[in-house]
Formats: sequence, structure tokens, C-alpha cells
Amino acid sequence: MSTSKQRSVWQSPWGYAESIAIVVGVAIIGVVLQLSMGSFDFFILANPVNKITGLVLFLLSITVGLVAPRSNFCSWLSGVAMSVSLIVALLLLTIIMGLTPQVGEGADSSMALGFDTMTRNWSFVLLYCLTLISLGGVVVRRMRRFRVKDFPFMMQHIGLWLFLVASGLGYADMERYIMYVVEGETQWRVYDGDGNVKELPIAIHLKDFDMEVYPPRLAVVDRLSGMVQPEGAPQYFQLGADEPQGEISGWKISTEEYIHKAVRAADSTYREVPMPGSTPAVKITASRGEEQLQGWVCGGNQVQNYMAMAIDQEFSIVMTPADPREYTSEVEVYTQRGDAVEATIRVNHPLSIGAWNIYQYGYDNSAGSLSNYSSFELVYDPWLQPIYGGIILMMIGAVCMIAFGRNTKQGGV
Amino acid sequence: MTWSNFVWFALPAVALWLAAGSVVYSKQRFGAILSNVLMLCGIAIFAAFIVGFWIHLERPPMRTMGETRLWYSLFLSSVGYLSFRRWRYPWILSFSAVMAVVFVFINLLKPEIHSKSLMPALQSIWFIPHVTSYILSYAMLGAATIGALILLFRRSDDRQIFAFIDNMVYVGYGFLMLGLLMGALWAKEAWGHYWSWDPKETWAFISAAAYAAYIHLRLHSGSKAKGNQVALWLSVVAFALLMFTWLGVASLPSAGGSVHVY
Repeated sequence: MSTSKQRSVWQSPWGYAESIAIVVGVAIIGVVLQLSMGSFDFFILANPVNKITGLVLFLLSITVGLVAPRSNFCSWLSGVAMSVSLIVALLLLTIIMGLTPQVGEGADSSMALGFDTMTRNWSFVLLYCLTLISLGGVVVRRMRRFRVKDFPFMMQHIGLWLFLVASGLGYADMERYIMYVVEGETQWRVYDGDGNVKELPIAIHLKDFDMEVYPPRLAVVDRLSGMVQPEGAPQYFQLGADEPQGEISGWKISTEEYIHKAVRAADSTYREVPMPGSTPAVKITASRGEEQLQGWVCGGNQVQNYMAMAIDQEFSIVMTPADPREYTSEVEVYTQRGDAVEATIRVNHPLSIGAWNIYQYGYDNSAGSLSNYSSFELVYDPWLQPIYGGIILMMIGAVCMIAFGRNTKQGGV
Repeated sequence: MTWSNFVWFALPAVALWLAAGSVVYSKQRFGAILSNVLMLCGIAIFAAFIVGFWIHLERPPMRTMGETRLWYSLFLSSVGYLSFRRWRYPWILSFSAVMAVVFVFINLLKPEIHSKSLMPALQSIWFIPHVTSYILSYAMLGAATIGALILLFRRSDDRQIFAFIDNMVYVGYGFLMLGLLMGALWAKEAWGHYWSWDPKETWAFISAAAYAAYIHLRLHSGSKAKGNQVALWLSVVAFALLMFTWLGVASLPSAGGSVHVY
């Protein structure tokens, strides 16, 4: 590509100087559009506009790739200098994005240059489109004279093209809702991001909601302020660990008996009763120097009182709220076509029905395992298949990079 | 094996690694064998702690920053050792040993809260491959950065070292992309969307883009000294961005609502 002769800028064939100039020019056009029109509205891309745009980008890529051998312009547009310039430009824009707190999807930008809504920023959108044409162009160009050693290149670049096109254009078609379902009831009304109610062609019947918790921790707190001691560097003692002894805030703690599912008895001791409403409780001995105290500590819940252990006038040993280990919803899902699917939905294990995915979202935090409702996030994304296709191709490309390293001769491609 | 036992494994490993990193410069055959033995013993002792700690926690020790730093020290020492075997540069061994030691001391001096619980979103088959793939790539790209700094400070254009850097970047970038893509698949399962421009995701994009720029820049700058200098500096900047993605993002004001802070 490079020649030994001195070449002035804008004299063919173009290289880095022209690439940088064009990329900066496109970014400036983006700034002008941003200042005059505000942020780019992604939702004008909603179906079918995004399919048409995708087709146009596809055809442009093919044209660039096919014409490239005969056209200096197209070969420059899909060349290395252009790709480096585009990557660096997107890199700089995303660094600005990474340093500027971004506002939510529905909110308008409060900055003239739109840095707080970077993915809707005109410069970003224009450079993203130019990247797709350049990237698609080089794929087609290389495909025309395909050799086996181009396989990793193809996987990486086709995968990236698919992923970028489908994620960017498909975003406008994605729908996300939250549905709250009370135990024993069936629900099909959902809330969108702005809190509007909508009825879906999918209904969920919640048969049962269940939650498991981890053993909680003990801490010394100031009874008046509630601050965990020592203030500023709070110390905790993890229950249920292999070590029954520990030290918090100068007090030696030793666990006498830990019950994960306990119920308080009439004499203010605890015994194991695995039922809804049970709560972790622990019998401990706390000592500091000559002082020694023994008693039960319990974090409590909606139906059982907490129990703290007073260690002096100011401080008490208390149990922290238990972290959830797992929460699951037993559901039956009905579709408009009349299908009924029974499933257990939990975090990391969504239920897929057509282009819909149903996720465990939340529960009544104040009630914990006693929550009488479960909430679900319902996500509709018809562009998932090309996304997954792109991800898989890029993963194959990444494995090739690991396997072969840079397996070319010095300076060769 | 708990966090309080760490010091009894960390200090011997540190001593062995540093000894290996010094002995490796010896011209005698005995020194060469000794540096191999010392390095491997250090790695074995350090790995033994991680295994014991994993069993104690009853979950992979990959959740907190301190836990990921454990893996970084392990991978960096291992990658450093393997690249030394492959490329025969003693400085790879000593510099990666020093870097591994730095992260051991950060964990000794500034341990963070380590609890046993693993929130439901982290309970996934993607957890281990996602984290190990990333930390492995940090270690390899760290080794590449050591090579780049050697070339920049020596003002040399050694082709062999450049080939080492390029290979490390390619393999490291492969792991980086695997980590990122597995993260995307996991995010779809756990959070409902594969890419949400969460601050950690934004910075993951930034660091991947910086290395992609390096790789593309190197395609045609093989013989030009000026292009090589730019590429070397770019690789150092890319590593700084990568380390910021790992260690610095949580401290950004824009990371307020990040779902990646544990």
C-alpha cells in the first residue's frame, strides 16, 4: 500500500492523513447536527425502517467490497488506515462516554454536545454507520479472494458486523416490561419504563414464590445511631462459616448454636422449625476481658421480632439482614395461541417463549422470603438470532487468535 | 483455608518468585535450572492457597476485587514463566514476577471485605470462564506491555521482541474477547440484555477498541520505525485503559448505578 515516494495529502492513493481528516470531518458534521437537531432519535428506526437501513448498509458494503480492487476510493474506505482511524475515533467518543454519567434511555440530554447520551449522539451514530460500511467492505473484498488462512479474519469481522448491525438497528424494536404477580393469581398487565400500564399477549400465573438466604453476619452497633462499630471501619462476624470463633469491635464471639430456620419459643430461646416465617438465629458467647455474656441473637422478619444482645449501656450485638442465596418462582405461562408452559424461573434461568424472555426480577424486599408477590421482567427482542450468530462467530475468531497467535511473517497480512 | 492464612502462602511465594526473577540472569546452567524450580514452587504454593480458599468459601473466589487479584498474581506468574520458556527472555520472568508480587502486596495490605455469600446473579455457569478469561488476558497483555516498555526505554526496534509483543497481544486479545462475549451471553441470561452500556461495559469496549487499534495499526507498520513507535505507545495506553477498566471504574462518578460493582 505504502509507496516510497513522497505523496502530498489528498493525492491518490489515500492513507492515514486523509482517513483522519474524513473521520474528523464526519464527527464535525455530527456535532453540527447535534447542535441543530438535538440527539438522534433511535425509535425512528423501528420496524420496518431498521430492516431497510440494514439492507442499505449491506448493499453499500457489497458495493464497496466489489468495487475496491478497481477504485482507490473504495479500497481506501475499506483499508487499514481507515479502520485504525475509525476505531480510534470511536475509542475517544466512548472514553468521553465512560467519564460522563449517562442519563437514562427516556431522558433528554442536558448537554449541548450530547455527551451524556453518547449512544444517541450524532457523531457516534454517523461514525458507527461509516464503520459498518468500511467493515462490511473489507469482508466482501477479502471474500472475493478467500484463502483458508482468512478464516479467523472472516469469523471476527462477519461476527462483528452482524452484532453491530443487529444490536444498533434492533434496539428500536426491543420492548422491556415489568410484571408484578401475586401468589395464586394470574397477571397480564405490565409496566413500561415510564410507568405506563400495558396489556401483553402473555399471562403469568404465580403458583409459588420461594427464597433461600445465606447465614447472616453479626455486628456490634451503637443503639442510638445504629452505626456498625468501629465506625468508619465496620467489622462483621460471618455465621455458618467453619470457624465458630471471631472478634468484632473488641469482643470475642463464639457460636454455641446456629439455627438457619428458627422459630422463637415462649421462653425466648429458639428451636428449629422449617416453615415459612422462620428466620436464622444464633446462640453466642461474647467476651471482653473478664466480662462474659451469653444469649440468643436474631435478625427477625415480618412475623418474628428481632433479638439483640445488649453488651453495655451503649452497644448491642445484632444480626444483619440475610443476603438472598436464591429466589425462585413456580409459574404457569399462557400465550395468546392457547399454549400453557409450566416453569421455574429464577435469576440466571429465564424462560424463553418465542421472541419473549421472562426473567425473575424481584420480590417484596421488606418481606424477604415471606413476599406474597414476585416480579418478572419481560423482554421482547426479535433481533436476537443475528446477535447470537455474531457472538458465536466472534468467539470462534477469538479462539483462533488464541490458538495461532500472530502467525504471519513480519509486516505481512 | 481462610483469608487470614493468606500471608503464610503469600510470603513464601513472593520470596520464591523474586529469587527466581534474580537467579534467571545467571549465566550458569545451575542458575537456569534453579530459576525454573523456584518459579514453579512459588506458583504451586500460591495455587495451593487458591484451591484451599475455594474449598473453604464453597464458591469460586472470583467475586471481590481482592479475589480477582489472587488470580491475577497466579496467571501473571504462570504466563510469565511460560513465555520465558517459549521466548527465552529473562526479563519476562523477572518483570512478571515483580508485577505478580505487587498484586500480592496489595492484597496483603489492603484486603477488602470478603464474605462467603454469592448473590444470585453471580450463580451462573458463565461466572468462572468469564472472570478467568479476563484475568488471563490481563496477565498476557501485561507481559506484552513489559515488552513494549523495554523497547521504548531501550529505544530499540528488536524484531524478536516485537514479535513477542504481537503474539502476546493476539493471544491476550483472544481471551479478552472471549471474556467480553461470554459476559454478553451471561448478561442476557441474568439482566435481560446482552449489552447495556453499563460503565464497566463501556470501559470494556474502550479497552478492547484500544487493542483492536493496536492490532490494525501493526498490520502495515512492520518496517516503519515511526509507525512502530506509535504502536508501542498505543499498546501502553491500551494497557492503562485495561487496568482502569478492571480497577478504576468503580471510583468514577459515572459508575454510580453500575451493576458490575461487588
